[in-house]
Amino acid sequence: MTTSGKPASFEVRILRQDAPGEPSRWERFRVPYETDMNVISVLQKIAANPRTIDGRDVAPVAWESNCLEEVCGACTMVINGRVRQACSALVDQLLADRPGEIELRPMSKFPVYRDLVVDRQRLFRSLVRVRAWLPIDDYSDRGPGPRQSQAEQEQAYPLTECMSCGCCLEACPQFQKVDLSEYGEGTSDEQRNAAFDRSFLGAHAISQAMLFNGHPIGKTSAAERLDALMAEGGIQVCGNAQNCVAVCPKEIPLTTSIARAGRATTIHTIKKFFDH
Amino acid sequence: MNQPTVSFLARHEFLIRRLHSLTGIVPIGVFLCIHLAVNASVIEDVTAFQKAVYQIHSLGGLLPFVEWALIFLPILFHGILGVLILLGGSSNTGDYPYAENYRYLLQRATGLIAGLFILWHVFHMHGWFHFRWWIDGIAAPLGGALFRPFHAASTAGAALQNGYVTTLYLIGILASVFHLANGLWTAGITWGIWTSPNAQKKIWRFCAAFGIILAAIGTSALFGMRHAGKSETFETIQGIENRMYEIRVELGDIRSSEDKRS
Repeated sequence: MTTSGKPASFEVRILRQDAPGEPSRWERFRVPYETDMNVISVLQKIAANPRTIDGRDVAPVAWESNCLEEVCGACTMVINGRVRQACSALVDQLLADRPGEIELRPMSKFPVYRDLVVDRQRLFRSLVRVRAWLPIDDYSDRGPGPRQSQAEQEQAYPLTECMSCGCCLEACPQFQKVDLSEYGEGTSDEQRNAAFDRSFLGAHAISQAMLFNGHPIGKTSAAERLDALMAEGGIQVCGNAQNCVAVCPKEIPLTTSIARAGRATTIHTIKKFFDH
Repeated sequence: MNQPTVSFLARHEFLIRRLHSLTGIVPIGVFLCIHLAVNASVIEDVTAFQKAVYQIHSLGGLLPFVEWALIFLPILFHGILGVLILLGGSSNTGDYPYAENYRYLLQRATGLIAGLFILWHVFHMHGWFHFRWWIDGIAAPLGGALFRPFHAASTAGAALQNGYVTTLYLIGILASVFHLANGLWTAGITWGIWTSPNAQKKIWRFCAAFGIILAAIGTSALFGMRHAGKSETFETIQGIENRMYEIRVELGDIRSSEDKRS
């Protein structure tokens, strides 16, 4: 410890993997302490001097990052056991919570490309499943769209803050990793999407479905989104553990979206049953 | 591309899960409340409880159908599907130690405990099936089918004299009550009745209060019944039950039925 109460250096334990499907292993690095570090700058220090604690020179640790201000979601990883963005994970706070060591792991619900980089295609596939877009497919001028009330805007805005980072999925006890290994080498897109489409959508997609169902133009395809929410792997898989809302870095009211989707699908089912 | 065959369960996942949620409240949850309340009437006095049992048994030959259609089959459906749901999740309270996440785990743990308890409890008291050959040949020799409806309090109480049995009953009752109270809360989210965090917090307090009251009723029922079966009181209570039986037979309220007495 230095006189200021800060350590001269600290240890970083990283769960590494060379390529998809390869076994993973832990490696430890010692990083000199500097003020105001975040986990990205820790990874940069390691990249500059990729030598483990036991003196082996290794390949630099791979990670993804982009905006460095917690709006892109690219640097999402499991830091000291909790999923979050590396850019907004400050070393001083991490060392205060767990002195001497920081542990980094890739998200466990997605296939690992390499080290801390994961393949989040399933997350985006879920958005396709619920048609998380506005159905405007031409260039003709339709004039101004319908007005949204202040109340509708206030309900929609927080949902638009989703950056598709995957925190809600990583922390969800009902969201299980999809095993694509049964397809062997060279899984086709169709096979992969079919496997994704049978698995749980996740909180982010349910919330986006509710965002677009609340939009005056999005409403025109509300029934299709509700059908998607009620298909296999839909909203019914939710187990109400509510971890999604607890870990969401943008504090999106995901459980409110889930309950609203529950109500909408209840009404949709009754309507389908009696109006068909 | 070969379309994988989609199972019945997968095609109707939404409706089946909603049916799971519904059966948990109606009829199972409603039945649990009635069951514990009726049994707790033994605290007031033995005749009150015996009267309630006579009322239930006034269904006569219809009773087994009502039991199976409204109680046993819904519980079996809810339980079997519950096991599938349990297998589809993986708890992570270690990394994410939040209250709701613990309740997610507890909901599954209490469901499993309640399911196993109910299987044993129904065997222990009721015997599962009421065919003579089954009761005499299998259930009774294995220590089951101990309850006699026309000696309700005394036989139920006598079956609860063992301390281990009583402890298992207490665990089973508390697990069932938690599962119902917390399940009521999650069902309200599932069906979209309470949506905002604020409403969910308020309703959780209500569900917790409901659970505590029901747990108190259930615990009273258990220890009231245990008390009725104590050797000091057993004879007196059998006497009361015998007199009620004779009067009812004399009035023509019931047909004499030795099966339901011994």
